Amino acid sequence: MDLLEDDDEFEEFEIDQGMHRFVSVPLFCSFVADDPEWDDKEEGNEAVQQWEDDWDDDDVNDDFSLQLRKELESNSSKN
Amino acid sequence: MAAYLSMGEAHRRIADYLSRVADSISSSDGAALASLLAVSFAQSSAPLSDALSAFPDFPRLAADRYPHLSDLLTPLLRAIHSHSLRRFADAYSSFEKAANAFLQEFRNWETPWAMEAMHTVALEIRLLAEKADRELATSGKNPDKLQAAGSFLMKVFGALAVKGPKRIGALYVTCQLFKIYFRLGTVHLCRSVIRSIETARNFEFEDFPVKDKVTYMYYTGRLEVFNENFLVADQKLTYALTHCNPQYESNLRRILKFLIPVKLSIGVLPRITLLERYNLLEYADVVTSLKRGDLRLLRQALERHEDQFLKSGVYLVLEKLELQVYQRLVKKIHIIQRQKEPAKAHQIKLEVVVKALKWLEIDMDVDEVECIMACLIYKNLIKGYFAHKSKVLVLSKQDPFPKLNGKPV
Repeated sequence: MDLLEDDDEFEEFEIDQGMHRFVSVPLFCSFVADDPEWDDKEEGNEAVQQWEDDWDDDDVNDDFSLQLRKELESNSSKN
Repeated sequence: MAAYLSMGEAHRRIADYLSRVADSISSSDGAALASLLAVSFAQSSAPLSDALSAFPDFPRLAADRYPHLSDLLTPLLRAIHSHSLRRFADAYSSFEKAANAFLQEFRNWETPWAMEAMHTVALEIRLLAEKADRELATSGKNPDKLQAAGSFLMKVFGALAVKGPKRIGALYVTCQLFKIYFRLGTVHLCRSVIRSIETARNFEFEDFPVKDKVTYMYYTGRLEVFNENFLVADQKLTYALTHCNPQYESNLRRILKFLIPVKLSIGVLPRITLLERYNLLEYADVVTSLKRGDLRLLRQALERHEDQFLKSGVYLVLEKLELQVYQRLVKKIHIIQRQKEPAKAHQIKLEVVVKALKWLEIDMDVDEVECIMACLIYKNLIKGYFAHKSKVLVLSKQDPFPKLNGKPV
């Protein structure tokens, strides 16, 4: 077990967003507590919109399909 | 290098630090206390570290001035001192003593005014334990501090996860525990804290701070990936993605690293722009292989990034995409056949599939292909039946290739 690194470890959120009761600027740290960007809007981050579930179409005009067609046709001519 | 420091000046600095800790406690100033307990922010406490080196009798100073706080202050000074000398195992041991004393005090305070300080202690003890274990491992000793930090944090969790105003701070500690358990490979220990968080009657999960909810959903989402509960994993990781502070790009990337295989397994593909944007191109060929029905490409992609996928624990999830790729390939064969000979399109000779696979450099005989097709039918990826004798797969005329529509295979 490599204790030295873990790429998948979640980075600490430095800002106590959503915990306003306790929010303050620590004396010794340089970050700011005020974070207007993170307003936790309902629609969320842009990454939430970047998915497709209608990709499974009937299109067989891509290169892969064209080659597959050629292959299958050469087969059928052999048989 | 520390400049020469007079005893008087060293004494003054230590006394100043001690009085600031004591004042922050007597005035219930949680933020001030939190920053004073952040021992690993070395640059901030450098003047204090120099003073501790110049004034070795500092433990007595703490005990004399603040006898009622000496259980906290003495080991705290020792921890800061050892940390500045980069003796991390010593620093950890002292800090753990201070942390226990602090927890004792914290339990007695009725209001959660010191929550930020408690959280600082929770974070610090984990970070110190990691440094200590690194040091212990290098010198051939048993690195057991992170585990000890986990035990301490369970005590903190116990003090917070109770009815009352302190509960709001419990999720942060839960997340620190997750980080420890994932690092140590003891994720089964997450279960009892999760149960305690999720079965609470008097506290709504939504009332926890956003940053803690996001972290919690990331880790519990990953656990669901390991357990192959892809629907729940999808929910949790999507929650994390939606609510994550967009400024934390590296965390968005981490969430996506697990959400992408989960989405793939329920038939939803990420756009290539997403993979580019977050530098997750190791998934690009996997996505293309699904779109094409290109089994060879899937296998190549898995082989090329094997170490990476195994390390994150998503390899098995991706390997299972094979069935979807087979489905896509058979569908393409069907469409090509339909264009040529519509009347016979719903009959697929297994031999044709064998040929297609051979073209993809995958060696399989008719029996093996029949086996795979049986599996696809069983998993409802293909609707149809076999004409076993004639070695033909007969497709249903209605919706022969059902879409997953967000359901796992």
